[in-house]
This record gives sequence, C-alpha cells and structure tokens, in this order.
Amino acid sequence: MLAASTTPAAPAAELNLADIQGIILRSYRMPCLRTLLLRVDDAVRSRDFLRILAGGDQPLLRIQNAQAWDSKPPSCLNIGLTFEGLKALGLPDATLRTFPPEFVAGAVARAAVVGDTGVNDPANWIAPFNTTQPHILVTLSAQSAEIRDSVTAEIRRAVSGAATELSCLDGVMPADHKAHFGYVDGISQPRVAGVPRQKPDGSGIPEFSDPMALVPPGAFVLGHESPHPGLFYQMPAPDALGGNGSFAALRILKQDCAAFERFLDDASRQTGIDRELVAAKLCGRWRSGAPLALSPDTPNPTGLRVDHWNEFNYADDPAGKRCPLGSHIRRNNPRSTAVAGDGGERHRIMRRGLPYGPPHDPANPDDGIERGLLGLFICGSLRDQFEFLMKEWVEGGDFAGLGTDKDPILGNQPSTGGRMRIPNTGKPRTIIRGLPTFITTRAGAYCFLPSLTALRYLAGLV
Amino acid sequence: MTTTTGAQAAPKQNPLTLIMKIKSPQDAAALQAMLDKFMGMPRDKNPIDVALDKLAKVHFARFVFLDDNTKLAVITSYDDSFEDYINDFVNLIGDIFNALLAHMADAPPLPVQQNRQAFLEYVAKNDLRCVGTFYSAYPTLGVKTILAQAAEAE
Repeated sequence: MLAASTTPAAPAAELNLADIQGIILRSYRMPCLRTLLLRVDDAVRSRDFLRILAGGDQPLLRIQNAQAWDSKPPSCLNIGLTFEGLKALGLPDATLRTFPPEFVAGAVARAAVVGDTGVNDPANWIAPFNTTQPHILVTLSAQSAEIRDSVTAEIRRAVSGAATELSCLDGVMPADHKAHFGYVDGISQPRVAGVPRQKPDGSGIPEFSDPMALVPPGAFVLGHESPHPGLFYQMPAPDALGGNGSFAALRILKQDCAAFERFLDDASRQTGIDRELVAAKLCGRWRSGAPLALSPDTPNPTGLRVDHWNEFNYADDPAGKRCPLGSHIRRNNPRSTAVAGDGGERHRIMRRGLPYGPPHDPANPDDGIERGLLGLFICGSLRDQFEFLMKEWVEGGDFAGLGTDKDPILGNQPSTGGRMRIPNTGKPRTIIRGLPTFITTRAGAYCFLPSLTALRYLAGLV
Repeated sequence: MTTTTGAQAAPKQNPLTLIMKIKSPQDAAALQAMLDKFMGMPRDKNPIDVALDKLAKVHFARFVFLDDNTKLAVITSYDDSFEDYINDFVNLIGDIFNALLAHMADAPPLPVQQNRQAFLEYVAKNDLRCVGTFYSAYPTLGVKTILAQAAEAE
C-alpha cells in the first residue's frame, strides 16, 4: 500500500540530476518518439545491455540524464523495467518484494482500479499486451526520423542475442502541436523544486508560466520527501537500486476522432451551445490551448500572451461557471479547487508522450486507421498519483460533487452514455448527455525507471 | 465509482468503528478535556470539524468513551476507500490523531505523518466494522455530491 519509511534512505537533499533519468524531470520537446518493447531472453546478456546504457561508452546508447544541456542532443534514450522484467533480469525474490505492491501486481491486475474494464479490458489490448507484459521499455526521443532510425539500429545491434523485440511503437509530434482531438497539448506540467527551468530550445513550444507551487522532488524522484509532509514514497531496496528512481504507467490510448467530432455536433444541437465552446467546456481549454479560466468567450484572446495560458487557478470560479468542475483539465489538475481530500495540488503526474497515427481528416472521418496517444505517466507512487487520479478524478465525480459523472474526454463511460454538467452564468446549468467513450485503452504497463546507479547495480547482478 | 442498481451493490459509504484502548485514567481525563475543548469551539475553529470539512469524505463522526472510560471509540460513516485517501486524511487530521494516540495503549509509532502505513494498519486492526452489510439511505451519494445538490436546491 502506501508504505512510508520512517528513516528515509537519503535525507532531503539536492537532486542528483546526473543520476536521474532525464525523462522524469525534463521535457525533451523532440518531434519523434519511439518505444521499443523487449523481452529478456538471456539475463546475462540483457544485463550487459544495461551496462552499456549506464556506461556511456557508446554515445548513441547513453541514457539521457536530467542535467541541463548546453545544446540539445540529437536524441535522448531512456529505459523502464516492468516487474516481470526485473524478475527476468535475475533480481532476487527478497529484493523484488521491496517494490510497491501495485507495481508488483502490474497494470493488468490493477486494470479495474483505473477504469480498464469493458472495452478497455486488458483482454482487448494489442499484442503483446493482451497476453504478456514486456520486460524492458526503451524510449527514444529524436530530432528527426532519420536519427530515430539510426539509433534504433544501434539498439537492435546491442540487444541482439539478449532480448527479443516484441513491438516498436512510434509517436510523432504534429507540426501545430495539436493532439488528435485538435487541442494544443502539453501546456501544463508540474514544475519540480530543485530542477532548473528549461531554456527555450527552438521547438516552438513556449515557456508557460505557472502560478502553482513548485512540486517537492519526491513526487517524482524516490528518496526525497513526497508532496505529503513527512511521507517518502515506498522506495525499493537497496538504495543503489531504488534511490533516484521513479515509476511510470505506459498507456496506449486510442482516440475516436470521428465520434468526438460527431458528438460536438450532437451536443451543440442538444444544448444550443456553439460546438467549439462545447469542445472547450469538455476540455477546459479551447482547442487553441487558451484556458476557459482566462478566456471564457474566445479561443484567441487578445492581450493575453500565449506563454501566460497556464497562469491561472480556479479561486474565482468555484462553481465552474467559466471552466466546469467536470472538464478534463480541471479534473486532472484541480489546482485550487476544493476537492475531496484537499489534495488538488498533491496528486500530480508528469506527462510524456506523443500522438500516434496520422492526423484525423475531417473529409474522411471513418478511415479505419487507428490513432491515439503513446503516453508515459510518471510518478513516485503509481498508487497515490496515477491510480488515484484515474480512479478518483477521471472515473469518478464525487471528489468535486459531480456524483458518478466521469471525465468527458478520458472517462470509460457507461453504455447508456455519460453526462456532464455545465454551469452557466445567469441561468440554470446545462447538462450534456449521451457522452460515448472517446478514448480506449489499447495497452498498459507499469514500469520502474531506474537511476543510472541502479542500472549499474542491475548490470552487476550475478 | 460503482453503480448501485443491483440488490448486491455495496453502498458508496463505509462504517468505521475504531476502538482505541486508553493508557490510564489520567490519559482518559486528558482526552476528555481535549475533546471537550474542541467540541466547545465554533465549527470554523474546531480543528476536527475544519479538517473533516476539507476532507469531505466523512458523513458523520462522533467520539464515545466506553467501558468506564478505558476505551475511546471513533464512529464514522465515510465514502469510498480509506486507503485511497489515507495521505490526504493524514495531511488534514494527522495532528489530531497524534494528540489522541499519545494517550493510547498499543498506539502505532508517532507522528502518523511519518508512519502512515503503520497508522493505516492500526486503524484496520482496531476497527470493529459492522455485522453484515452496512445500510445507507442514499447508497450512491458521497459527501461532496450531497453538499453540491443541497446548495443547488437552495
């Protein structure tokens, strides 16, 4: 469960950015993302592969750490290990038992907790996830497809004879930074105390200002105090294995763009609300990325710089008249909203990932091509962050007084259709009904993101 | 969230019947004085009420001394899983429990903020639960939803 240690292995200290995987604390802002899923065939050779990643002798295969860079590298490589993977690498039972129970159980066993039931049930996931969990996830961000492919070739050479590649998943950043439902994505991310702010890097993504308090490092880096005073999230032992590590939920989320666009038409007819405003109410941001909290009437506010589009809380909108309490962004990051538990700023997750599949073409809405999000949701405690968020804030509504309503965009809706309340200024609330499930889970895996030290520890297992 | 259309569906709410063994008559007197002080405060000053208002997961709560003041019972009806909200609960009301548990025999290690798992286990171990199923007149409604509906009805 939520075990806390009374004597943290490492006292609250400066972050050792050189030892922490970069994907945990940095946004790489690269246009290509590839995830290679591997199954360990030969533990000894697979541990040699980890040694190569940690050693840094082969520059293309060096794990990217969390230190600031002077010039942006052509690619960034990171690694995650599932519980099955740690077992296959030869980690002894006594050590395996020090991992948190939800990680040990894994994404399949925890499916019902996070809404992976019905259409989202693991039995319906894509191969290999419908029958097995991969052991190793290698995530590769690259500045171009050519760089991605050349590094991939190096990885494949390095794992040859050690592990079998089960699958290769690609995500691509759209030129306009809009995810498949047409929203500019990735605006809000937790800012972590002790991590230098990233410099503008020519990616075209603004440096968004943010009024929220800095998140304590232990929310994402094991061995540091979590956002809950006095609590250090459960860290695997020994320190060399658990310290500076993190956890992540890999999610492959299919998006039904045609259904989404059709529903905007339906809901607009139901309510008399302009369809783009419906889209904004469902999300909490206009598809331009402008938040309803700051721009309730227009997707293109004049006099409000784009880099200020994350500069808000909900203190002056407790009833959700501008940004509905049930909207996607207000659920997943309630900020100052008075939610049950008063933890609106405490259960944060770091979002990494990119869309997969070609952009939706409104002229050819039912093209039969699968598209969605290849996402990695990073947290120090899968249970207190990823699972809490999915169970309480996405699949539930009572935390904000919304009964059984679910996240209108991400929720696994009942067969009768979901519901969303839209409070209005000066008149009774509007209720949108018949929400279908727009996003379907196609795969999930819980991963441990080891430190560089932990990779060397694992490489040295005998 | 569970639907509650079927006869078997469990209510959203759960009972807590936490029975804590008091160390000594002196500790019982100290507890009585502390609780009297809190209960004598207006709601916005009573630290227990303030914390429970923020938690918004507890429908009703009361303290009862049992067995000639040798035990203190905390009896509540609360929503969902105590485990899921243990961190938020301890953040909000940990200091109250530190003060109560200081007077209890077999108390878990304190402060609870640094010993959350042990606190969870102590509560589970000393919770009498209830016989059979827990009855609720409104099995689908949580605290926040009831409050929201009440506010809307006004």
